[in-house]
Amino acid sequence: MRYITICLLTLLLAACDHIDREDRLIYEKPVTSRRAVLLEDFTGQQCVNCPKGTEIIDQLVETYGDTAVIAVGIHGGPLGFKGNATTLGLATETGDEYYNHWNLEYQPVGLVNRHAPINYPEWAAAVKEELAKSAPLTLTASATAEGSHTLHIGITATATDGTINGKLQVWVLEDGITAVQLMPDGSANAGYVHNHVFRQAVNGTWGEDITIREGESRHREYTQAVDAGWNIRNLSIVAFVYNDSGVLQATKTPIR
Amino acid sequence: MRQRLLYLLTWCCLTASAQEQQGIALSGSVQSDMLIPQNDDKTGAEKTGDFLTNTYADLMLQSRYVDAGARLEYLEHPLPGFENDFKGWGVPNFWVKGRLGKVELTAGTFYEQFGSGFILRTYEERSLGIDNSLLGGRILAKPVQGITLKVLSGKQRRYWSWNKSLVSGADAEIDLDAFLPALQKHQTRLMTGFSWVNKYEDSDEHVYVLPAYRVHFPKFVNAWDVRVSLNSGPWSILAEYAQKGADPSFANNYIFRNGSAAMLSGSYSKKGLSVLLQAKRSENMSFKSTNDVSKAIGISSAINHLPAFTQDHTYALAALYPYATQVADGEWAYQAELGYNFKRKTPLGGKYGMNIKVNYSYVRAIDRQFYDTTGDPLAITDGYSSSFFKWGDDTYYQDLDITVTRKLSKDFKLSLMYMNQRYNKTVVEGEGGMIHSDIFIADGKYQFSPKTTLRAEVQYLTTKDDQGDWAYGLLELSLVPHWMITVADMYNVGETHIHYYQGLVTCNIGQHRIQAGYGRTRAGYNCSGGVCRWIPATTGFTVSYNYNF
Repeated sequence: MRYITICLLTLLLAACDHIDREDRLIYEKPVTSRRAVLLEDFTGQQCVNCPKGTEIIDQLVETYGDTAVIAVGIHGGPLGFKGNATTLGLATETGDEYYNHWNLEYQPVGLVNRHAPINYPEWAAAVKEELAKSAPLTLTASATAEGSHTLHIGITATATDGTINGKLQVWVLEDGITAVQLMPDGSANAGYVHNHVFRQAVNGTWGEDITIREGESRHREYTQAVDAGWNIRNLSIVAFVYNDSGVLQATKTPIR
Repeated sequence: MRQRLLYLLTWCCLTASAQEQQGIALSGSVQSDMLIPQNDDKTGAEKTGDFLTNTYADLMLQSRYVDAGARLEYLEHPLPGFENDFKGWGVPNFWVKGRLGKVELTAGTFYEQFGSGFILRTYEERSLGIDNSLLGGRILAKPVQGITLKVLSGKQRRYWSWNKSLVSGADAEIDLDAFLPALQKHQTRLMTGFSWVNKYEDSDEHVYVLPAYRVHFPKFVNAWDVRVSLNSGPWSILAEYAQKGADPSFANNYIFRNGSAAMLSGSYSKKGLSVLLQAKRSENMSFKSTNDVSKAIGISSAINHLPAFTQDHTYALAALYPYATQVADGEWAYQAELGYNFKRKTPLGGKYGMNIKVNYSYVRAIDRQFYDTTGDPLAITDGYSSSFFKWGDDTYYQDLDITVTRKLSKDFKLSLMYMNQRYNKTVVEGEGGMIHSDIFIADGKYQFSPKTTLRAEVQYLTTKDDQGDWAYGLLELSLVPHWMITVADMYNVGETHIHYYQGLVTCNIGQHRIQAGYGRTRAGYNCSGGVCRWIPATTGFTVSYNYNF
């Protein structure tokens, strides 16, 4: 009995792991971005924790800039809302297709450069890791509006490290949409402003094949009709090249 | 590994009958729940596969000194509503237990509970997809009469893998009455217990509360529990307190505040009368065996369990809005229960007697004053301050139910129940506000003959909230010893006007039980002991098979 007591007390003392208050957080200098990172945020207006995910995105964009961290809010899945006669919904059929394709279970959940789905507390670490990597290609995008109904989009991709085999995907995003959102306390915020909302895939749900030899460039042009429900002044274009190993590079440009 | 265990299981089966002659007993069970799902536009049910099943086969060999067991689980095409990682098959449970004198040693997978489970409870609840057994070793010793000691260590099961953290613990229970003749003389039992649990995890999890500030996870998280119980005649009292050290997690928003749980429970029970009064305060007691967010989310990987102070109702509409214990946020929970039997041949008891049962449960938020985190990242890790006895603003759940059961004639028994419920859907499900409902239930059983009984249920739930009123009816014909035929329908009167109908035929033959049916189930929470799982709507043919030997 005495032996067991001594053993237990020794074990108890050995297992103490007090962390002083000032040591609870480890400061890590933000990395220098070597490439752009695509963060697909699978979100929904009926998802009470989704504003927490948006908060993380805002912090990341503030730290690294919106050319390095390219966030896209993909509304869909079980907590997405497609709207009705009185209330604006942001979920799309394409958003649902992406949600189901990645076999997602919770919202918010994110794909950082199309690696395994991760939850929002892990986004910062994954973004940091990806930003520090080099990209095997450069991407530039331009987008101009012809009147208020048509967009002309140009994408140029240049391979800088080996031959690129993948798919080029081009999306339309919209910022500054005021639409109802359920908040973490369960309340409905009718004045919530949604940014970087996925609106449409310009070149098909999964993009189109692209192959570029090292040192060569490929240029693609697209024309996209502007939906009556979009505000052309708040639109932007996101383009990225991906393959089975993830997103190789991404870029974002506003409409000029 | 999986193949080898399968061989072991098969070998056990083949040799068991021979060994039975040598004082070795074989026992086991098979449980298989099957669904052939269909698409249903009305309910939103989806055909997620051609054939879905959750199937379990348990096998146990018992002898004088050594027991051994294993469980085969086939969940490759699971029923709807479980997490993705639930899918798989294999032999995840296997154990050997040896007994020698006052010591019992278990190696392999095992279940254990310290006290009320505040700091350790590993258990299996198939309907929820929970099996948080530990893989490791446990020693149980009873060195002297009245003292029970347990020491254990292991890795916790999470579906088809084991979390990499090591969960260790020790528990001591001392029956003081064994040492105090005065207590024995008065037939009083006084027990005191102490438990300690430690989680060791060398976490490589990188979680940032801000882009430049990473959480420094403690390698060790300690929790302890102390309790005392007194039983004397009809009286019983249990007081228990547990505390958990700093354990930043997804559930508590990565704060370093200690967790705690305190419970006081008293009961009085004598023939015909029972009274139960209990109160519990808990805060920040989510205790998981992994810091990996993707694994810790959901109901898996829990090391502990906080008992619910709410009724697990079995009537369909009473269970429509079940409460889930708020383990991380904390709660004040109270429960009072009174049961009384009116004797036969009394004015209220009538010719056959009458039973009345009243239950009241109330769950409320604890006080939490969150610190201002502006400009101070460390304040994020402080979380909040809380005054122990002060309530928070929100009521989480309230349930007042009264059940009267009376045999009206030799052949007819009637139960009437009224329930008044307040369910904070926002707290439990994330949105929806407070749902205030009144539920009326009548349950009558008429015995036509010794072998033929008809039971009928009529239920009505009325509320101005959520989907409005619901009605429910059930007829159940029992033809003992083999057959039971059930038809039921749950109908949403208030909003959707959808019928959730079900027809079932059950057959019992010896140790076999098979149930086949067709019907719809609505989307909603399935809860057990305050732990809940979301189940999507289903439509289709169901078969359920059980066999015990």
